[in-house]
Amino acid sequence: MISLTDFLMVSAALFCIGLYMIVSKHNAIQILIGIELMLNAANLNLVAFGKYDSLNNGGQMFALFAIVLAAATTAVALAIILNVYKKYKTIDPDRIDKLRD
Amino acid sequence: MNNFLQAIDTLTIKFALTAVLLPLLAFVFNFLLPGRKSKLAGWVSTVAILFSVVLSVSVFAKVWNTGHVVHQQVIWFTIGNTVVYAGVLLNNLSVLMLLLVSVIALPVHIYSTAYMKHDGNINRYFAYLSLFCFSMLALVVVDNLVLFYALWELVGFSSYLLIGFWFTRDKAVQANKKAFIMNRIGDIGLLTAIIIIFIQFRTFDIDSLFGSGNLMSYSGVHDGIWSLWHNLPINVRLIWPRERLVQLPSMLQYIAFGGIFLAVAAKSAQFPLHTWLPDAMEGPTSVSALIHAATMVAAGVFLLARVYPLFNDAELTILAVVGCFTAFMAASIALTQTDLKRILAYSTISQLGYMVMAMGIGAYTSSLFHLVTHAFFKCLLFLVAGIVIHQMQHIKEDNQLDIDPQNINNMGGLRKKLPFTFVVAVIGALALIGLPLTSGYLSKDGILIKSFEWTGGRSGILKVVPVIALLTTWLTAFYVTRLIVKVFFGELRLLHIKPGIKLNLSDGNWQYKLPLALLVLGCFFPLFSTNFLVYEQAWIFKGLPNAGGLERDNVYHTLVPAGVNILSILVMYGAYTIYIKRRNNPFPQKGVLFNLSFNAWYFDAVYNKVIVEPVLLLCRFAFWFDRRVVDGLVKRIAKTGIALSKLADWTDRHIVDGFLHLLVAIVKGIGNFARMFHGGKVQYYLFSMLVVILVLFILKIVI
Repeated sequence: MISLTDFLMVSAALFCIGLYMIVSKHNAIQILIGIELMLNAANLNLVAFGKYDSLNNGGQMFALFAIVLAAATTAVALAIILNVYKKYKTIDPDRIDKLRD
Repeated sequence: MNNFLQAIDTLTIKFALTAVLLPLLAFVFNFLLPGRKSKLAGWVSTVAILFSVVLSVSVFAKVWNTGHVVHQQVIWFTIGNTVVYAGVLLNNLSVLMLLLVSVIALPVHIYSTAYMKHDGNINRYFAYLSLFCFSMLALVVVDNLVLFYALWELVGFSSYLLIGFWFTRDKAVQANKKAFIMNRIGDIGLLTAIIIIFIQFRTFDIDSLFGSGNLMSYSGVHDGIWSLWHNLPINVRLIWPRERLVQLPSMLQYIAFGGIFLAVAAKSAQFPLHTWLPDAMEGPTSVSALIHAATMVAAGVFLLARVYPLFNDAELTILAVVGCFTAFMAASIALTQTDLKRILAYSTISQLGYMVMAMGIGAYTSSLFHLVTHAFFKCLLFLVAGIVIHQMQHIKEDNQLDIDPQNINNMGGLRKKLPFTFVVAVIGALALIGLPLTSGYLSKDGILIKSFEWTGGRSGILKVVPVIALLTTWLTAFYVTRLIVKVFFGELRLLHIKPGIKLNLSDGNWQYKLPLALLVLGCFFPLFSTNFLVYEQAWIFKGLPNAGGLERDNVYHTLVPAGVNILSILVMYGAYTIYIKRRNNPFPQKGVLFNLSFNAWYFDAVYNKVIVEPVLLLCRFAFWFDRRVVDGLVKRIAKTGIALSKLADWTDRHIVDGFLHLLVAIVKGIGNFARMFHGGKVQYYLFSMLVVILVLFILKIVI
């Protein structure tokens, strides 16, 4: 029997992996993947807690909504990354530091 | 009628003032003249003095022996109730001196234009010479003691400038310093005397003190008190500004005499302040002739004549004894000297001694008469010495010899080379010895006769005075003959030492000859008297007071001149026969008496030991004290100040500034720390946020 706790455990693991990716990766696309992982961890939580709202299925609905938004934001992010690459010939966020100081 | 006389007086005063101020103008002109060497300087000074002579003659003719004293004054300044006047006083004495000074100065100026021709600083020379003429001429005509003192100083100062004219020579600098210091001693005396006279009489006016007012003769010393008489005549009361009589201790009168005596001794080179005069010969010879033989040194005698009524009998006796001693001492020194100019300098001291002695024995007019005649022949002799030294200098330079051009042992035989100079030198020498037909005879015999009359009725020791005076006359005859024979007779001694030297000598041009010719006129009797044997008939005696009268009422008037002159001629013959043999030193150059004379009675040595060295020691101590104690204190204070400021500097740098620097460093550190967080690394932002949140969580759990 898969309990709520297991979902939450997986979700927390996903979240942590995503967070780690965001902080540690040198490739913007990998960071984007990390963001997606964290979003999905959140979605997983939404869906898992949606069990307690079986009438409206608000959790599932909100997760769907978030997935759609995530797709949109990913598209925008990819576009930004493409433009950044055009300008800097790199997508390592550590090297893109023209705005500092 | 009165107005008419007044107008004539004013004109006379104007003439006299112009005569006095012309040399001052020449001084200013020469002083402002650009460059150092200009022919113009000499002629400006000479023309100025020429006009002074003309005006002096005119003033002299107007005032001399008219019995009328020209005296005009204006208010100079007022202090409290005391009004001090400045003015011109022309009496017989003033106009005589005015004429003498300008007449002697004229030939010296002409002579100087040639003598100083090759000097590089001729402008300065004539400026100084004119300054001297101005101060001396002004000295004799001023009417009050304050101005007299000022000009007395100025005369000393211009003499100082001229002695040190060649100031690159160390000896000249030493000599002018010595002369100046000696004269300062006399100046202090004169100032003291003037102050005391003012305290007693409340006036500086020479005419009211010693002249027509003659306040001095109404004062006297009684019972240790010096005061004026109670019953002053009405005309004296009118000019005397003081209401009540003040009695001063008699000591003040003696101090006043002492002050005057010091002043006279310093200026007229009397014992004990005579040692500066021989050293003053370091100046140019023409200067020696004018200042240190004829005019300035006579200022002391002139001062005596001005303040004559001040002295009482005891004081006059002191003057007589000192003058007599000086005359004898200087003559004895002149016997052995070898420097031409020094011999003449000691001879001057000796003759000045005669003048002071004459004042002391009451031969007032004879003293001034001797002053006048002496000025002529001594000036003449100095100018001759100048020519001789000039020629010796030529020989020295032409042949590159290492000789002293002033040493008479190198000279000889110059009578063939310099015939004109020789003739005038002999005439001047005869006048100095005082043989008949010369002016020196008239003036010197007046003094000698008077000195014998004076001894009558005096104590035994004072009877020596005329005897020493007579002895001095013969000493004079001896050293003058020695000088003339050594310089002009025989053969030139240099030829013995260096046989091959070239001689190119001459009397010089008219600028040398004319002054000598002018001065030689003053060496003969006709200028002064119609009778060449009897001094009483000289015109000078008619214009000046004669204490004791002029009657030839005793045997001295015949005996003294005869004795003096016969013995003088014998002495001269003796000296001639001794020195005409061309041995350099006919007498042994040793023995106590020779050393005493040759070293000028050791006066310089004694003064050095007794006065100069202690003074220098004191100076050195004062210098040490100043250096070590006074400067040391200042330096210590300075060091403390520096240490204090260093401390302040450290505090400022490290504490005040340090505080600010610390603040800056803190702010900077905070800034840098905060800057770290937005280094452009996006992931790092996120990471830090994560850390913060984690910390918050951990804290929440722990607390």
